[in-house]
Amino acid sequence: MNIDDLSRREFLRAAAESLGVAWLSLNWSQVTAAVHDANEGARAPATVGFNFLTAAQAADVEAIAAQIIPTDDTPGAREAGVVYFIDRALATFMSRLAVEFRAGLQDFQHACRARYPQTSGFSALPSAQQIEFLKGVEHTTFFGTAHMLTVFGMFAMPSYGGNRDGVGWKLIGFEDRHAFQPPFGYYDRDYPGFVIAPRGLAT
Amino acid sequence: MSGRTYRDHELVDFAVVGSGAAGGVIARELSQAGLSVVLFEQGSRLGPADFEHDELKYWFQGGVTNDPERNPQTFRSDSTQKAMLQAVKPALWYGRTVGGGTMHYTANYWRFHEIDFIERSVLGEIPGTGFVDWPITYAEMEPYYTKVEWEIGVSGLAGASPFDPPRTRPYPMPPLPVKSSGVLFERGARKLGWHPFPAPMAINSQVHNGRPACMHCGFCHGFACEALAKASSLMTVIPQAEATGHCEVRSQSYVMRIDTDKRGRTTGVAYFDRNGQERFQKSRAVVVCANGAETPRLLLMSANEKFPQGLANSSGVVGKYLMFNYSSRALGVFEHELNEYKSVQVTRILHDFYDSDPKRGFYGGGGLDARIGPQPMVWALRTSTEGPAWGSAYKARLREFPRSMQVACHSTSLPVESNNVTLDPDLKDAWGMPAIRTTYRDHPDDLATARFLQDRGAEILEAAGAQRVTKAPVAEQRSSMHLLGTCRMGNDAATSVIDRYHRSHDIPNLFICDGSSFVTSGRGQPTMTIQALAFRAGEHIARFAKRGEI
Repeated sequence: MNIDDLSRREFLRAAAESLGVAWLSLNWSQVTAAVHDANEGARAPATVGFNFLTAAQAADVEAIAAQIIPTDDTPGAREAGVVYFIDRALATFMSRLAVEFRAGLQDFQHACRARYPQTSGFSALPSAQQIEFLKGVEHTTFFGTAHMLTVFGMFAMPSYGGNRDGVGWKLIGFEDRHAFQPPFGYYDRDYPGFVIAPRGLAT
Repeated sequence: MSGRTYRDHELVDFAVVGSGAAGGVIARELSQAGLSVVLFEQGSRLGPADFEHDELKYWFQGGVTNDPERNPQTFRSDSTQKAMLQAVKPALWYGRTVGGGTMHYTANYWRFHEIDFIERSVLGEIPGTGFVDWPITYAEMEPYYTKVEWEIGVSGLAGASPFDPPRTRPYPMPPLPVKSSGVLFERGARKLGWHPFPAPMAINSQVHNGRPACMHCGFCHGFACEALAKASSLMTVIPQAEATGHCEVRSQSYVMRIDTDKRGRTTGVAYFDRNGQERFQKSRAVVVCANGAETPRLLLMSANEKFPQGLANSSGVVGKYLMFNYSSRALGVFEHELNEYKSVQVTRILHDFYDSDPKRGFYGGGGLDARIGPQPMVWALRTSTEGPAWGSAYKARLREFPRSMQVACHSTSLPVESNNVTLDPDLKDAWGMPAIRTTYRDHPDDLATARFLQDRGAEILEAAGAQRVTKAPVAEQRSSMHLLGTCRMGNDAATSVIDRYHRSHDIPNLFICDGSSFVTSGRGQPTMTIQALAFRAGEHIARFAKRGEI
């Protein structure tokens, strides 16, 4: 097996078979169960509805996220499904943020309607006006939380509901592999080896 | 798990509280000396199948660390402020699983230098601080540093730095393969006449003590190592302690009180078991190794009629002189890919600015290293605090990830009495016990040192040919993983908590060993010294026990 192609599952199997790790051998059924669960999570179908946000709230949250990491020639927060991550996070594993987030979102929506009375909501505004409005609220706690959750949803493991097809990782050139071998990058390819330099002398 | 078990009413020789860097080592040393040990751990016992590359879980949901939901904390900068709940991540971040902080650390293993133990004598008094010498010297510690390198397993190259302190043995393993950040760091630093060298890391570069070599997955900092190449207490000393047949590891067992008798001696530890039931383990002596936050908290929570200020606290300094270290950062973007997300965090460091230099006009020193820092999600969050935070400009910055590195500058923190850990008067944890309240403000010299070193880091990146160099803001810290100094060691019972053998001045059968024992902060890589202290303490405590002196 080429080490560069190791998946997590293959790694754990290789670890148990060849590395002689007593713990893994003793607990192999538990290990395979855990790996199985993780794979199921990663393959879970995309969320259809929302659990925490209303449809109107979800539209605005998605629009905010899409301004934080916009779509251009590459996918952004919208394609990553960040809004589904945020909805799920607030409904479950980050529910401690939920009450404050909902109140902040309502304030955000009120302020937006006061500023742009003709619009049906932030998500309906043209992009230039969305950016203009966000510049006025970018230091609020609500925007800070929305920003944090957007980044989480873009780069957390796809099993959490965002980062669909790994588009966040692809954006930043991160390879989701389990093991690597040197050379790791351009500059360590032709490294000649470490030579101890005498004290006080530049080389 | 292997190893025998004890019943609560059985009198064991030692209750050791905390299974991390210090507790694991001490449990092994005591049990190998034939003494019976129950090793308590708040968190659960996990294994390689649990250790995923899941940034959300490990950085924000207490994967192996204290959980913001169940272990809430408050923070304030000074005592005039109301301490506020830290909602997303606790201010003080520490391992909360069998293995403790050794599960999620980066594994930089720098020895202290000779100067670290005698700095006050060399430099003189610093008004407004508790800056004093250690009661022990580097020469006394050297055998234990060597022991850590061989028993725990450290990769490195002896003699590679002209600033290294004396050593009696080489490293047991060669350095790990250099990364692009290390090559660039070495190139830039040498152009400036400085002395970069391979980083000593507690990560196997080859098979050592039955554990495999690193597979370069990149998930060290903040994560537990499923490859077992990173030297955690869980995979090194704890199985060895269990193999003696004298040590039980009792996980999900949260010690919240140490009881004392009429003579003022400890009788054992009260703890919540995994079902939340209060139980009591009798022991001849107690060793607290719960880290620089939980150790003083436990002593303060154990206040009783005889010890109204908390245990071992007649000096009043339990919890005080908290030190975080500082890590300032200079960031560089290069033309080609470095792919720093692969392999161990650090492969090259330098110690040219380790010593404090009075000519700079402020106290402090440190070491520099080359790395990217965190993995994608946390890196993306951090990047938004150091430039455009959103929009197209932010997205352009995100694309620079593979071409980016930073020089991290690890530096001193002065011991200041008003920086401390106390019990929050209002907030309780999920077990109804008082939450940790941290009060912390970096000393002005600490911030000046951080900026000085950051400038040197920026010079290295420029000299290495970076296309763009920026400096992350040097601001007052509001969180840390380094929890040092809160039960300081000293010869004087009026100004310190433990003596040179880690015995508390006030209670003869209560010992303390972890980051809280530190007198000064070192240069930002404390675990090596915590473990060297633990090997030394374990040896002495075992000797006391065999002579009937506990």
